[in-house]
Amino acid sequence: MRTKAGRSRLRFRSALLITTAGMMAAACTAGGGAASGPAAAPGADQAVTVQVWSNFSDRELGILKEALDKYHGKHTNITIDNQGSQDDDKITQSIRSGNPPDVAISFTTDNIGQFASSGAWQDLKPYIERDKYNLEDIPQAVRDYTEYEGKRVALPMLADVYGLYYNKDLLAKAGLTSPPKTTAELLDFAKKTTVKAADGSIEVAGFLPQMGFYAFKPQIVATTFDAKWIDKDGKSILGTDQGWKDMFTWQKELIDFYGWDNLQKFTAGLGQEYSADNGFHAGKVAMMIDGEYRTAFLADQTPNLNYGTATIPTSKPENYGGGYTTGTIIGIPKGAKNPGAAWDLVKYLTSDTDALVGLANGLHNVPSTKTSLSSPDLKLGDTFKPFLDAFANKNLKSNPASTIGDQYLKIVSDFGVSWQTGTVPDLGAGLTALDKQIDDAKALGK
Amino acid sequence: MTATLPGQTAEPAIARPAPRRGRARVRSRNRKWVILFLAPWAVGVTVFFIYPLLATVYFSFTNYNGLDTSDFVGFRNFVYLFTGDPVVKTAAVNTLWLVVVLTILRVAFGLGVASILARVTTGNSFLRTLCYLPSLVPPVAATLTFVFVFNPGTGPVNTVLGWFGINGPLWFNDPALSKPALTLLTLWGSGEIMIIILAAILDVPKDLYEAAQLDGAGPVMQFRKITLPTIAPVLLFGVVNSVIFALQYFTQAIVAGSVASGSADMVGNSQIMGYPNNSTLTFPIWLYQQGFRAYHMGYASAMAVVLFVVSFAFTAILIRQLRAGNSEEARS
Amino acid sequence: MTALLSEPPEVTAPRPVPKPRKTKAQLLNWIAVHSIALVMGVIFTVPLLFVLLTSVMSDQQALTANMWPTEWHFENFVSVFEKAPMLTYFGNSLLYSGVATLGMLVSSIPAAYAMARFRFRGSNAAFMLLIAAMMLPPQVVAVPLYSMWASAHLTGTLWPLIVPYLVGDAFSIFLLRQFFLTIPEDYLDAARIDGCNEFQILYRVLLPMTKPGIAAASLFTFLYTWNDYFGPLLYVGERQDSWPLSIALASFRGMHRSTQWNLTMAATTLVLIPVLVLFLFAQKSFVRGITFTGVKG
Repeated sequence: MRTKAGRSRLRFRSALLITTAGMMAAACTAGGGAASGPAAAPGADQAVTVQVWSNFSDRELGILKEALDKYHGKHTNITIDNQGSQDDDKITQSIRSGNPPDVAISFTTDNIGQFASSGAWQDLKPYIERDKYNLEDIPQAVRDYTEYEGKRVALPMLADVYGLYYNKDLLAKAGLTSPPKTTAELLDFAKKTTVKAADGSIEVAGFLPQMGFYAFKPQIVATTFDAKWIDKDGKSILGTDQGWKDMFTWQKELIDFYGWDNLQKFTAGLGQEYSADNGFHAGKVAMMIDGEYRTAFLADQTPNLNYGTATIPTSKPENYGGGYTTGTIIGIPKGAKNPGAAWDLVKYLTSDTDALVGLANGLHNVPSTKTSLSSPDLKLGDTFKPFLDAFANKNLKSNPASTIGDQYLKIVSDFGVSWQTGTVPDLGAGLTALDKQIDDAKALGK
Repeated sequence: MTATLPGQTAEPAIARPAPRRGRARVRSRNRKWVILFLAPWAVGVTVFFIYPLLATVYFSFTNYNGLDTSDFVGFRNFVYLFTGDPVVKTAAVNTLWLVVVLTILRVAFGLGVASILARVTTGNSFLRTLCYLPSLVPPVAATLTFVFVFNPGTGPVNTVLGWFGINGPLWFNDPALSKPALTLLTLWGSGEIMIIILAAILDVPKDLYEAAQLDGAGPVMQFRKITLPTIAPVLLFGVVNSVIFALQYFTQAIVAGSVASGSADMVGNSQIMGYPNNSTLTFPIWLYQQGFRAYHMGYASAMAVVLFVVSFAFTAILIRQLRAGNSEEARS
Repeated sequence: MTALLSEPPEVTAPRPVPKPRKTKAQLLNWIAVHSIALVMGVIFTVPLLFVLLTSVMSDQQALTANMWPTEWHFENFVSVFEKAPMLTYFGNSLLYSGVATLGMLVSSIPAAYAMARFRFRGSNAAFMLLIAAMMLPPQVVAVPLYSMWASAHLTGTLWPLIVPYLVGDAFSIFLLRQFFLTIPEDYLDAARIDGCNEFQILYRVLLPMTKPGIAAASLFTFLYTWNDYFGPLLYVGERQDSWPLSIALASFRGMHRSTQWNLTMAATTLVLIPVLVLFLFAQKSFVRGITFTGVKG
């Protein structure tokens, strides 16, 4: 377009096109639905099908099915469509497309912030108030990770508690008879139980300190050092909290002990997290932090391993006894067709002691109410005891929910990876930079 | 298996202009048919190209999250993209690395293999099929295969290297080697480029070589002065094709990172994306992560705009080249 | 030169030179070239070989560095079907690729004909638009397209993947256009003089003469949709029974908490087979099709 008139015509046309497309786009987006009061549960003569989605598969899906069958036995008018292998991506997609399940079960607890702030999952408060649901029966830390800024859109369905697993044989070889209780001891034990070959490469590792490997994740390790994430205003405080500095310094010391290249070579040859040749299962790693569910995997895959479990070591003795907790969350997605029936099922799965005990026994998770915790029907074995104790302990902690889901965990994890390879010169400055990144990322969604 | 590449059609294909008489009639008749024939595609290109492109630009100025209505936020997304996001720089660098390296190596490797294939006399069709076969393998399957084969501990590659006393590197688990390993995967599957270049090489008129030989030119000189200039358009096509391919690189990187990290999750966990150490996190992957998993669809749209601008720049080069070819064709 | 470049290049195997006596240099050359070629061939096939070998290994052996199966477990292929509804996934892939290919043909052939043989105002612009559409990274338009399909309540089905092919596929149009350009106008003019309308010309004259091109375009569309991962991930991810094989294979590994490499590799082999079979039947068209994308014009 050579002429001035031509050019302005072009600009006008482009602007018109963009606004038209914009309006079309806005019209095309799935609009927010109006929220109404709590829906009533279906009457005993109403036949209803409730869709339940979870990321369980195989054996675990079968356990869930047992619990759901029990519910069906009590409410024969309600048929349950139980679908497994549905991860968060799929649940989110289904909500966006307006075709969600009635009940959603998610493993990605960290997404609770997004579910709550975006309205993807429905607010459960009206139901809780109407049915006088007993929230007090749920431990404080567990209540914390199932709500965001006071908005409750999920309830916990079983919980995970992280503790220390140790190979008794490998510890005995190093002359150690009981597991470490402090992080200083853990470091010491790790060094003592490590077996190196003549060329410096690792044959048996005492404890693997690489950020992100298996369960060495920032949110889990943070509780070990009483590292705090946010202040009361919700601002990130990694730069000013002493716990983080302690954690990263501790980690570096252990990494330097092994040698970074040796560590990478060693872990590259270890099996996948949940396969039968997992490093701990195979006797190549002496100690590791992991969730209570690993007892089930050990029993299933390597029953002959002589291992013990204990509460997570901590940097300060006054913090000892608890641990990191997270867990499966269950809620009602926006747009569910049978919210009333869905709530009834959610109530059952999260507060009925029989149901919780059955699920806990089958899935080897911690039942999420104090009542079920003390049930005599819990058959979880001796190795489970430290986890139950930790769950009842006042030092049980979780990580805060946020609107960016687990993004902030990734930011810290990435930092940890840079740190452990020695590319971060100033720890304090690095942590402060993280605060800015996390706060900026949170601002993006507003 | 006699895979011969297509033979020449008998007549030269030169488009002759329509006869002058009755041109106007031809044109009006043409228009009806043109509209009829192009109608489906016109609908398609509007709905699936023009509209979404404009909508993406629109969304990039909002805080759309995929669930509620969105608010206008001006340039905030772009500001965050260029100054705030710690990961997007790495993602952009990764994609640019792939653009440069994949393009150069793909074309060079294709050229090398094609040159060899052009000279092979015994079993040439079998060999050509063999070289082309890997490009048919579905990308997911190919990536799984490669990560498995290059497993530092138990994979065949390091095992064989061990026989020669070489300590095999960590391949997909080493941040410095993960992209080179992905490059190897790409080269393995670049059969298309090979065959195109092979076709072009074989198409160079033999008499040109004979004349050069008479003039005393050696094989290297012949390659430089005759082969390369003649197949230049095909090489250019290979370059642009590789660039666009690298700009969209998604599947292989995501699968490789997920498998190598040892995690049971596939695309599930944002902490393993780009394993190891964000080295396999390409720009499209981060776009997907932000838009579809972190609920930042407005921001993802801003990223999409940037991606589009870059890819369009390369497209423009190809268009200019094709236009030149088009007009030459019309003239002759 | 331009004529050469606008038609399929002559690609035949080099005519065997009559070899009365090979000079030493020529013999060495032959050996060098063929050795390199042999190594190349081996490198290209070895990874596939490992996939096959691992498919029949036992669970434990797949986790070790042993390369040759100590036991042969052909039942792994059957186990794959037990672990996951592979037939459903196969059916979905077939549906997606089949309908997309047919739709592509119906919508793209006329468009390609128009672009190749009709001179109309805006034909240049249309051609450039075609190229631009061809080169577009799918991630650029993912967000709005997803919104669009979500509000139509069609995510979780194969429709978002299939419909774009029912309204013309840019790459196929380009490819078909190149093929159509090789048919001299004379044939078409002759038919016009005989009184055929354009549709009859297309259907009765052009198509029979460009069968290889049609086959090539069909094969490319089939192959591309069969291997498509990003599209299904985006649109179909939420409903498992609509998954095509590409996603199923990627998720196979993580579907069950403990990874079984032997089964994963067996599944990989199974996914490969249809594509390999198709290629064996149609390699000529495949190769012909590729060479057409490489030439300018």
